Amino acid sequence: MHLPQHPELLDRLAASYALGTLRGGARRRFETLAREQAPVRAAALIWQSRLGSVAELQQQAPPAAAVWTRIDNLLRAEQEQQAMLNARIPATTPTGPGGWLRNLLLWRGATFAGVAAAAVAVVVGLNQQQHLTDQIASLQTQIQSAPQIEYVAVLQDNAAAASMLVTFDPKNHKLVLQRVGNFQEAGDKSLQLWALPPAGSPHSLGVLGRDKLLQLTAGEGDVKEIPTLAISLEPKGGVPGQGGPTGPVLFKGSLIQKVM
Amino acid sequence: MALLDRIAAQEAPALKELYEHTSSKLYGLAMRVVGKREWAEDVLQEAYMTIWRSAGSYRASLSPPLAWMGLIVRSRGLDFLRRRTADRSNITQELDEVMADTLDGDSPSPMDTAQASQQAWALHQCMTRLDKRQRELVSLAYLRDLSHSELAEQLRLPLGSVKSWIRRGLEQLRICMARFA
Repeated sequence: MHLPQHPELLDRLAASYALGTLRGGARRRFETLAREQAPVRAAALIWQSRLGSVAELQQQAPPAAAVWTRIDNLLRAEQEQQAMLNARIPATTPTGPGGWLRNLLLWRGATFAGVAAAAVAVVVGLNQQQHLTDQIASLQTQIQSAPQIEYVAVLQDNAAAASMLVTFDPKNHKLVLQRVGNFQEAGDKSLQLWALPPAGSPHSLGVLGRDKLLQLTAGEGDVKEIPTLAISLEPKGGVPGQGGPTGPVLFKGSLIQKVM
Repeated sequence: MALLDRIAAQEAPALKELYEHTSSKLYGLAMRVVGKREWAEDVLQEAYMTIWRSAGSYRASLSPPLAWMGLIVRSRGLDFLRRRTADRSNITQELDEVMADTLDGDSPSPMDTAQASQQAWALHQCMTRLDKRQRELVSLAYLRDLSHSELAEQLRLPLGSVKSWIRRGLEQLRICMARFA
């Protein structure tokens, strides 16, 4: 069944999928469709993010003071352990930010996978890896045949399907986006491209039109040293004013500077 | 958000500050997920340790800070309930301090507009239009990840009523949310 052609049914299924009341065979069928069809994945993501706000709407209740004491104790124990580990690492580099940072990154990396899996509801199956590798290979061929491009990103949805190819040509201040998946936003929505700097808030690189091939203007300063780009689904015309993204993030990927 | 950056840099005082700002909110949520004070305290403790360890990945989630923390509390809470269920099978026999007043209390859905994200505000608007029972059932189904029949069992309500309240509640919510971005 081609669900995207029945927007109301799709919306209803996505809502009960995200709520969790869609169970058994119906749930598995929906997940299969979500793997195959990007609009179905998008609908599920939108509802997951909407219902996620239920968590923000609950009655407040002050916890007992002892809870903080327990957390504080754990924290101290963990920091002491960390300090001991640090002391054991031979000081080949001065014990400055370098060693500390490397440590932190390693450590974050290790916790990230578990936490991400726990904290983010996952719509996906993992069996698209091969498919993805092929897609990336063919995209890379495309990239290599185009000169002057210094930055490249393949933005993927959360099923790891490539959905948007982004290239940046700093000479001509041209940011070119090519839709490679079959996702098409609804008529009253727009996609918006964001640069996610390592620190500080995401900044908008522009709102996307509905064409397959899109072009935005950006200076090298907007893109330089940006590790990640993301595309969120926003009201038509994009987020008003200077605010950050308000809608769910549909596609995301690392921005890579091509080595000439 | 700046606090989460400082926590990502492993500044312990920032975690305390965050705790002071958010613990009532998150404890209230933990109570709703697990239903008992002492369990909710365990969940809260685990949640803040998770926040401490994974604040570095917060930015990549692009969600509002409170929504991100809410997801952590919910998933820690659900893990907690799963562990309990694995330990003993008749979890529903335990006194549930939340369920007891879930359906007869008349508190309106609370809203702290200062902290809530734009999206939470939209959901709040739509939730207040639901009848109280529908709102409670939809919230509980989500927060506790319960099926129709689990909800019916835990709340001692007829399965048919639970199904139709949720169906109608979710349908109204869907139509209402379509009006927001």
